[in-house]
Amino acid sequence: MKSINIADQPWLSMRRTISITVDGIRYRLFRASVTVAVIVVAVAFLMNILAESLIKRSVASNTRERIDTSRVIYNWSAKLSSPGSQESIIIEVANCSPDSDLYRETQRFAAMNDDDMAAFQTHAQKIVFVFDFFNSLDYAKRRAMIHTASGLEILNRLRTPENMEQFKLALSRIRSVHFDMSFDELDAVLAKGPEIRKQVKTIITARRNAIAVINKTLKGKTILEKLATANGPFGDTIRQAGFIFDADQTAPLVADQAQRLLDILALEESMEERPTRQLIAQQANILPADVNVMMMWKYLDGKRFATRYLEKMQEGGLKTEGLTPDRLVDLAQGRKENAALLRAERLTLDAGKGVLGLGERLGWLLFVSMLVCGIGITNAMMMAVTERFNEIATLKCLGALDGFIMIMFVLESCFMGIVGGVIGSILGGVIGLGRMLAAFGVNFLGAIPIGDILVGMLMSVLLGTILAAVAAVLPSFKAARLAPMKAMRVE
Amino acid sequence: MAETTPQSDAAQKNADRRIIIRTVGLKKSYLMKGVLTEALRGMDIEIFQGEFISVMGPSGSGKSTFFNMIGALDSPSVGRVFIDEVDVAQLTAEELAYLRCHKIGYIFQSYNLIKYMTALENVTTPMAFGGVMPDEARSRGMGLLDLVGLKDRWHHRPIEMSGGQQQRVAIARSLSNNPSVLLCDEPTANLDLHTGQEILEILQRLNKEKGVTIICATHDHRMMNICDRLMWIRDGKIDRIADRGDVHIEVGGIDGH
Ligand SMILES: Nc1ncnc2c1ncn2[C@@H]1O[C@H](COP(=O)(O)OP(=O)(O)OP(=O)(O)O)[C@@H](O)[C@H]1O
Ligand SMILES: [Mg+2]
Repeated sequence: MKSINIADQPWLSMRRTISITVDGIRYRLFRASVTVAVIVVAVAFLMNILAESLIKRSVASNTRERIDTSRVIYNWSAKLSSPGSQESIIIEVANCSPDSDLYRETQRFAAMNDDDMAAFQTHAQKIVFVFDFFNSLDYAKRRAMIHTASGLEILNRLRTPENMEQFKLALSRIRSVHFDMSFDELDAVLAKGPEIRKQVKTIITARRNAIAVINKTLKGKTILEKLATANGPFGDTIRQAGFIFDADQTAPLVADQAQRLLDILALEESMEERPTRQLIAQQANILPADVNVMMMWKYLDGKRFATRYLEKMQEGGLKTEGLTPDRLVDLAQGRKENAALLRAERLTLDAGKGVLGLGERLGWLLFVSMLVCGIGITNAMMMAVTERFNEIATLKCLGALDGFIMIMFVLESCFMGIVGGVIGSILGGVIGLGRMLAAFGVNFLGAIPIGDILVGMLMSVLLGTILAAVAAVLPSFKAARLAPMKAMRVE
Repeated sequence: MAETTPQSDAAQKNADRRIIIRTVGLKKSYLMKGVLTEALRGMDIEIFQGEFISVMGPSGSGKSTFFNMIGALDSPSVGRVFIDEVDVAQLTAEELAYLRCHKIGYIFQSYNLIKYMTALENVTTPMAFGGVMPDEARSRGMGLLDLVGLKDRWHHRPIEMSGGQQQRVAIARSLSNNPSVLLCDEPTANLDLHTGQEILEILQRLNKEKGVTIICATHDHRMMNICDRLMWIRDGKIDRIADRGDVHIEVGGIDGH
């Protein structure tokens, strides 16, 4: 005779749980694939935004670097022709790093020791902070605080007590504005003012003297023409005048860019001559009077045309020394790249702000899309649970523990999350990459942060899976709690 | 006429037998959309170990509801169910699962096979829940399918089988963990005469050879030849209970009408 004694039900092995779950998904493949599609869309959206902002951020820094490099020549030709204003020097010093050439050069001109220079930079940075604060205000607020003062005048103005009172009063009235510097510190900055001014004046004088030395060697040539030979004796002249002009790194770069600028100028001037003008007009099928410089650059993209253009230049009696067809094509190419750089700079102005460099609006959009996805998955899982009341009940009658039912549903959702996440992140990544390449052009291919994007993909897959798992908890809980018989009744 | 009342000889005879299922004042009512349906209106019954008892009654009389109560699948509104003198209401979820898995076999009126599993997987699922190793479960499952004559259809899914075949898979599944009690809700309803007879023989053998307690709701007259006792339910109440020997005399009244 069989009698009954009761023990605890053991747990089902993970392998068997997974195989039952997978069989279940296979049986309802269509419904499962619809749920997966929801996840794919959400994760693709996330990954797309992530990839685009990652690329944007990297392109932005890449662009800034390249633009900075391409502007070295402008910095040097300005520096060698004018000592600069007091404000510009303070800003320069505040923004340069202590191991840069500019820092050491300024120190030399100011004749300071290391400690004095460091203190000088700290003060410069505080002054720039004050400048930035007032520059960020709109006109009315600024006027209420410091009237029409600008630049170093601000410091002068604030040094008189009644003006300082006006500033403090306005600051306390205008709630939306925060001045993140204590008044004690501000007083210290103001007190240091005259000393800084003296130091800046020293620097200006020293620079002016250095520029005079250089001017003596110009002998009728422009500074640009001279800089084109910066690799040679003119580089030595610059160094002797007191500037720090690195012979190995700065000089070749400056010389190359100066030559490039000269060549561009020469080419643009060549537009004034009849033969070259006619050639372009012929090519564009317009009247010579309508030809402009842009057309020349546009047509100079092939070697064959460049050769002919060069011939015409000679025909017109223009100097063509140093110019070859390849050089012409190269210059046109450089201009194009420059345009791409400027466009990239404009497109990436907003990059890098907010969470993950997404910006507030995108972050919000992302949050909503995740929410929609979560609700979608919850809904799909709810349907799956309702649909399977009978099956769940039967399994419970056969001895399934509540935990098993829960795990079964959460697992099912996780599987769909993984599949949807992988598909979605690949899709989103590829679309993002394509879009960014289309926007910036292929010459930014090197700036694409592959590693970051892969990490982003991994994160999106993980997020999709977690989202799916979390969304499944409530429906699974509902399923697990069903009394076996109650479920049996619902058809 | 030999009316069976609790005071009769039969009850005396049963006094020394072990009670495996006992219900006390069992009531079950369903509240649906404001309408109260009383499916069971107070049932007291003792079922003995090793007994084969048939439950009869017209459709809607509460047979299935009664089965759910004594099978620990649903909780009564009022009253108690004791299985082997253990109050089902006192069991933890794990113990309940163990009870359902190992000790009670269910054959449902509507089969309730898992749609996405093959016949063999359906049969072995309770074994998996019970912790039987896959290889052993497989061979035992094939044995059970052989028992119900479906050995060569082990890989078929429920939709690929007829109603009767599904019924037989359900029977094989109910036996998978060698239950002490078998609850059959109309096990032969969808089977032809011959197969029905086979199933009845299986049930009889289980009862006689292994001492499995069998409680069986049925309209099948043949059940009468093999059961020990008959019980009639009407409108959620026990109409009467009779030993098989007593019933044979009053042919024509077997349906309890
Ligand atoms: N979940 C439920 N909700 C509401 N009413 C129910 C529920 N389950 C059963 N009932 C009612 O309880 C009564 C008994 O139903 P039950 O299924 O037990 O009958 P039965 O004797 O098994 O009938 P049949 O022979 O047709 O299977 C019926 O009136 C039914 O409507
Ligand atoms: Mg029924």
